[in-house]
Amino acid sequence: MNSPMENNEECVLSERVGRCELDANLDVLRKIPVFSGIPLQRLKLYAYLCKRVCYRAGEFIFHQGDSDDRGYIMLSGSAQIVREYEDHSVFLNELREGEFFGGVALLSDIQRLFSIRATTRVECLTLDRESFRKLLVQFPEVGVKILDLMIKRIVLMEEKLMQKHVHECVYG
Amino acid sequence: MVTKKSLFSWVLERCRGLQSALFIMILFTVFFRVFPLEMQKRIVNIAIQSRNLNALFTYCGLYITAVVMAGVLKYIINVLQGYIGQKILYEMRDQLYAHILSLPLSFFRRTPPGMVISSLTSELSGPGDFLGSALAVPVINLLTLITFAGYMVYLNPLLAVLSFAIYPVEILIIPVLQKRYNRLNQDRINVTRSMSNAIGEAITGMHEIHGNASYPIENKKLDAFGSMLFRLRHRMNKNKFLVKFINNFFQSLGPFILFLVGGYLSIKGRLDLGALVAFLSAYEKLYDPWKELMDYYQDFQDSRVRYYQVMSYFDYAPEFQLKPEEQREPYQLQGKIEITDLDYVVDNDIRILDQISLDLQPGEQLAVVGFSGSGKSTLAMVIGQLYSYSRGHVLMDGMELKTLTKLDVSHNLGYVAQHPFIFDDTIMENIIYACKSLQLNQLLEEESLPDRAQILRVVDEVGLSDDILRFGLNTLLDINAHGVFAEKLINVREQFQSRWRTELAEQVEFFDVEKFLNYTNVAENITFGHPNRETWELEQLPTNKIFRQFLEETSLTSELSDLGVEMATQTVSLLEDLKDDQFFFEMSPIPRSEFDLYSTIVERIGKVGRDQLSRKELDAILKLALRYIPANHKMATLPKALEFKIIEARHEFFQKISDHAPGAFTFYQPSEYFYTHTIMENILFGHPKADHPRAMEKVQTRMVELLREQSLLDEVMEAGLAFQVGSMGDRLSGGQKQKIALARLFLKKPHILILDEATASLDNRSQARVQDLLRTEMKGKSTLIAVVHRLELVKDYDQIIVMKAGKIVEAGQYEELLLRKGLFYELAHGE
Repeated sequence: MNSPMENNEECVLSERVGRCELDANLDVLRKIPVFSGIPLQRLKLYAYLCKRVCYRAGEFIFHQGDSDDRGYIMLSGSAQIVREYEDHSVFLNELREGEFFGGVALLSDIQRLFSIRATTRVECLTLDRESFRKLLVQFPEVGVKILDLMIKRIVLMEEKLMQKHVHECVYG
Repeated sequence: MVTKKSLFSWVLERCRGLQSALFIMILFTVFFRVFPLEMQKRIVNIAIQSRNLNALFTYCGLYITAVVMAGVLKYIINVLQGYIGQKILYEMRDQLYAHILSLPLSFFRRTPPGMVISSLTSELSGPGDFLGSALAVPVINLLTLITFAGYMVYLNPLLAVLSFAIYPVEILIIPVLQKRYNRLNQDRINVTRSMSNAIGEAITGMHEIHGNASYPIENKKLDAFGSMLFRLRHRMNKNKFLVKFINNFFQSLGPFILFLVGGYLSIKGRLDLGALVAFLSAYEKLYDPWKELMDYYQDFQDSRVRYYQVMSYFDYAPEFQLKPEEQREPYQLQGKIEITDLDYVVDNDIRILDQISLDLQPGEQLAVVGFSGSGKSTLAMVIGQLYSYSRGHVLMDGMELKTLTKLDVSHNLGYVAQHPFIFDDTIMENIIYACKSLQLNQLLEEESLPDRAQILRVVDEVGLSDDILRFGLNTLLDINAHGVFAEKLINVREQFQSRWRTELAEQVEFFDVEKFLNYTNVAENITFGHPNRETWELEQLPTNKIFRQFLEETSLTSELSDLGVEMATQTVSLLEDLKDDQFFFEMSPIPRSEFDLYSTIVERIGKVGRDQLSRKELDAILKLALRYIPANHKMATLPKALEFKIIEARHEFFQKISDHAPGAFTFYQPSEYFYTHTIMENILFGHPKADHPRAMEKVQTRMVELLREQSLLDEVMEAGLAFQVGSMGDRLSGGQKQKIALARLFLKKPHILILDEATASLDNRSQARVQDLLRTEMKGKSTLIAVVHRLELVKDYDQIIVMKAGKIVEAGQYEELLLRKGLFYELAHGE
């Protein structure tokens, strides 16, 4: 996972002064549309199960083809979405602070369709599939809301694809 | 052969000196038993009647001396009997076990281990106990019996004859009953065996039972034996007590006859009353030896049955001689193998090997391939002298394999099975197992056991180095044995710190007495060391008086309580709906089992306030605060001021412990080796950060680099070799076990190697490595016979044979066989 680029900048989680991590995570989650509709008491559990991870500039957060099982929220820094081909890579998009990405992995064991590489020092809040599923089972009413929003996101993507490549987008 | 020996031959051949001593003591005992009777008579007749006080004292003194002497002698005889019995049992077990070990493999395939175990332990111990008394008891009691009888004849011949008349009747009846008992006893032993086999089988196949929830089936199996055993035991008891009843009945017939006849004679005036009373008391004395003889008889029958049952079970001859009969050195074979028309037949008509013929020159390499069930492994085992063959010839250096002794073969041949056996010992002992066996068989001189360098080279050759290194780094050193090594490691720690401290700051939180540790709990942050005593462990700290006093002195109590209350409140509110799933408690400072306790405390705080909590509740709150790990527990945070205060307190804690409980802690001082921690942790001098998943890989690489530089790597490896592998090596992976078995073989370096899919569990790299070794190092030095599953491994072999249904169907070299487009081609392309 790590591609150690020579870099002297320390990759240590930033310090939070005076507040507990749970509350800090909670604030982040509340700003993400997928999670913002969840009642506070339940959202706290998501905040409880999230982990903070830190990446150096140049390091890959995940690689295309990995079966990585996490969803990510960018806390600080920026990263690139890259689609890799055999002989070249295509830069697709830029991820910025506060963005939620890689969430499909929370729903199912899939392989990544693209790679994500930190362009600066990046700190992420991550949630793994097992935690996500456990909560889904415990509080189905909350789960349905999240699923609803996530599936809408996917449909939106599909819609974009359909517009461009309608002939290839037939399930079979 | 030990199984042919009769039960009594053990008594007659063993401990002869002790047994004759025993015999002499018995004679004295008999004397001391009869002597008081005579004294009795003299006290009455001489001392009392003639009112002679001196005589009274003398006879009484002699009487008591004789009684005490009889007691003391009886004690010594008992001890001696026990000693002799156990000694014989010990030898019997040793010899029988040695015999069992030499039995052919086929015997063990149909014999469950439980059967061998129960035979050697419980079944033999009965005969063992018996053998101690086998000679002494009958002799002592017969002699006593005869002596008393003689004394009775001396008193009154007629009455004596009359009272003895019942014994012959008894001697006729009892053996008949005993015979029935013996038959039952035999059945009991057989049922007990079947029962222990059933239990053994169930335990071996426990995963299958759990998987199928087949508890009723297994219960039923055991129940069948249980009820049979119950009925047998009941019948045996009936029989045994019937014998006792008959014996008692005849015993009481004696006085009956005496009263009837003696009374009649007395009334008629032909016998005086005094004589009758004396006679009766003498008759009473007959009872003890007779009873002991009866017990002896029953014991003897029981032991006889058990003994012969055990011995007959193992009454097979070993297939091969263990050692040469004449005094000679074991043969040094060059490794030439000629096989002609070899058959291996089981159950009289199933041919596992069918007319196998092949020739191997010394140093040649042969690969055996084929489908499973084609007889590959059997061929390997026959050549390894693990099975004997029915027809044909296997010649090694021109000598028939059947006629070679085990010692000749093991000296020249090494065999690795697909699932090699690893003994419950260290890796080291497992690797030198083969060499040690040679040494114990006096084929190697004491000094030529392989040294560390040799062992490590072999370990490296089979690709086991990384594993050993990891075990080594995770070793706890012993303060008494490794003091010098620990000193050197402290030096390594210093180097490690000065070189890598900055670079590894991401992966490791190094100990620094001036810095707060985020990856460990508050307790460790305060004590800044590792407790050596139970009362100083985290869970005990809230009730530890010195610790509490210390918290008061440094005014930490109330702030820690604040932290504890915060943690309890947050955690309880967070997890109260999730009590049923352990998953949610993995990141929680409150384990699931304690959740209700803290839930009640939080409720009480809400109702009555913190001040009203009981002492126990306050302790629980404090305990929670001490468990707080900043990096793991998100529900609370530690104020910076408290962090500083804790750091300040460390010095005082150090002082406090030095004054009040020296030795209770090993403090994290750079100059101190922590014997409670692994070598790796000692060099690291910090905690790996949990949010860096591969942190330790990088750390380990750096550490190994440094150890190699300091030439301490071999010592770490040696510590790794001392790793205990667990029963049947269950702390090792399949690949590691095979590597150990290969190392065992390569260390022995025999002239003939037999590998039965010996690299099948290895990863590709290690497999290639071993193959390489065989191709270069061993080629020309050792004849190799390898059963191989993966065909790409056989390219370089001098000969390849393809087997099918016990026959060689193709033979040749790799290219040649491929061109032939036969079975080999099919095998190669079917994969």
